[in-house]
Amino acid sequence: MVGERLPGLAPNLDLMLPDSDVSSTEHVVLFEGIFKRYGPVTALADVNISVQRGETVVLLGPNGAGKSTAINLLLALTEPDEGRIRVLSVPPREAVAAGKVGAMLQSGSAIGFPNGVSVMEVMELARKLYPRPLDMDILIELAGLGEFAYQRIDRLSGGQIQRVRFGWAIAGDPELIFLDEPTVGLDVESRRAFWKMMREFTGSGKTVLFATHYLEEADAIADRVVLLNKGKVVADGSPTTIKASVNQRTLRFNMEDTSVEELLCLPGVSHVEVRGKEVLITSTDSDETVRALCANQLPFEDLEVVGAALEDAFVALTAVESEIN
Amino acid sequence: MQAQLAYLLFEIRRMVRNKRYMLFTLGFPVLFYLLFLHVTGSSGPEARIAGTTWGAYYMVSMASFAAMIAGFNAGGPRLAGERASGWVRQLRVTPLPGWAYVTTKLSAGMVAALPALLLVEIVGAASGHVHLAGVVWLEISLVIWVGAIPFAALGVLLGFLVGSETSYPLTNAVVFLLAFFGGEFTPVKVLPPVMKDIAKAMPTYNFSSLGWSLLAREAPNGVHILILAGYLAVFSLLVIWRYRGDQAHLVG
Repeated sequence: MVGERLPGLAPNLDLMLPDSDVSSTEHVVLFEGIFKRYGPVTALADVNISVQRGETVVLLGPNGAGKSTAINLLLALTEPDEGRIRVLSVPPREAVAAGKVGAMLQSGSAIGFPNGVSVMEVMELARKLYPRPLDMDILIELAGLGEFAYQRIDRLSGGQIQRVRFGWAIAGDPELIFLDEPTVGLDVESRRAFWKMMREFTGSGKTVLFATHYLEEADAIADRVVLLNKGKVVADGSPTTIKASVNQRTLRFNMEDTSVEELLCLPGVSHVEVRGKEVLITSTDSDETVRALCANQLPFEDLEVVGAALEDAFVALTAVESEIN
Repeated sequence: MQAQLAYLLFEIRRMVRNKRYMLFTLGFPVLFYLLFLHVTGSSGPEARIAGTTWGAYYMVSMASFAAMIAGFNAGGPRLAGERASGWVRQLRVTPLPGWAYVTTKLSAGMVAALPALLLVEIVGAASGHVHLAGVVWLEISLVIWVGAIPFAALGVLLGFLVGSETSYPLTNAVVFLLAFFGGEFTPVKVLPPVMKDIAKAMPTYNFSSLGWSLLAREAPNGVHILILAGYLAVFSLLVIWRYRGDQAHLVG
């Protein structure tokens, strides 16, 4: 599955293409055989990624997997040792210089913008740095900056700063947007509002690449997941495909006086968790496990079978790769 | 060019709003001038020194100091803070060329240096102790302004070298030491011999000497210009070296 295009996705993509001279085969992002080393550490080893126009792709991976390196390469902040990178058919530096890339970077605890200026002034600057910016009114509306447009940037809340960052990323009306942990530190409601905002902007064939630690969010937002581990792409596909590849389901039911040992002996069961009356079983063959539950006449109630969450796939895929190495 | 200009205007706006920066660059030199104008004993500001009066001589010292500190602080601590906050990195992923960040800091320093040195001159003229021909006012202003370029470069260099926590005290210490050892606070001729030798090597001494000689109606000494140009070359090379190193660091 690694590096494979999803056949089911292609027709939709064609529909989403904007009216332009760009052919449907154009790669917005293309990594070909990328190697990047820092001294003795190999950050990326033979990484191949291709992103088509209009896709929303999430880059996942544990810390140290090579995500930051891949992002730095994409944004022309560093150069690969081997391989070829193209952003909209040109080297990343040219794409950035042409104003075709917008990025919302992480800045840890710092606000990431200079103090002493208003939101409006920062947006004005962002617009002037790009050759074909969005209209100010549209920008303010898309990024939801209206309520605090004239406030000083060093007096905003965390959620407001994230909106300013998003505004900075889209100000130049770029074709590719990169968002690094865009919802970190936001509450659930603000996170939902953020993604709604992003969808409004990206509706018209924009390509989005983002990194996040919230896997439910990745699952809900992304068309495609690229999972990195130890400098390699270990999975690349739609969230559904990736979850399905981890042949695993969770069985949840209520039962009195559960014997963990007995449940562990059932076919397919790999893990059992008991929380009072509630029992959670992780199974690699849920059908067989359910049959065995019935055959053994266990007094379970309210049985539910749920597919693997993206988190399960993430853990399974990164763990397997570690064992191989 | 539109992008660079927009960024320069953005920087100037921030500088004007920064109270600490305005206090240092505009307030301190004027304050020092008014404090020390009358310290030279009975003859006061009219005392003769180096072919001119103390009032005029010390005005050039403080105008030079003002231009230096303005140019210096436009880079210096602000730059260190912006590297730490992620702002430099954020700018790097826009179409603004990487070098434009450095040139904007230098230009902003030079823009700030002009009102800073002019304010000292205005206070000097208003004090009634400085009597110069119009052309001399023009010459000293221009020479001090242009001569401040190496200090703007040094400010940018220090901004790349120091961390954001230590940047304010450290850069200000550097500025005051340069001014002191370069004879901007106390005339070099009243210093002990060893201090005189140190002064002659300082960029500040060679910088202020340009203005001092103009007051005595002498052409600036070519040696001072050469030494200043040498400092500018060294600071610029170091800035380029650190800038390149910083690109690697940004990736971290």
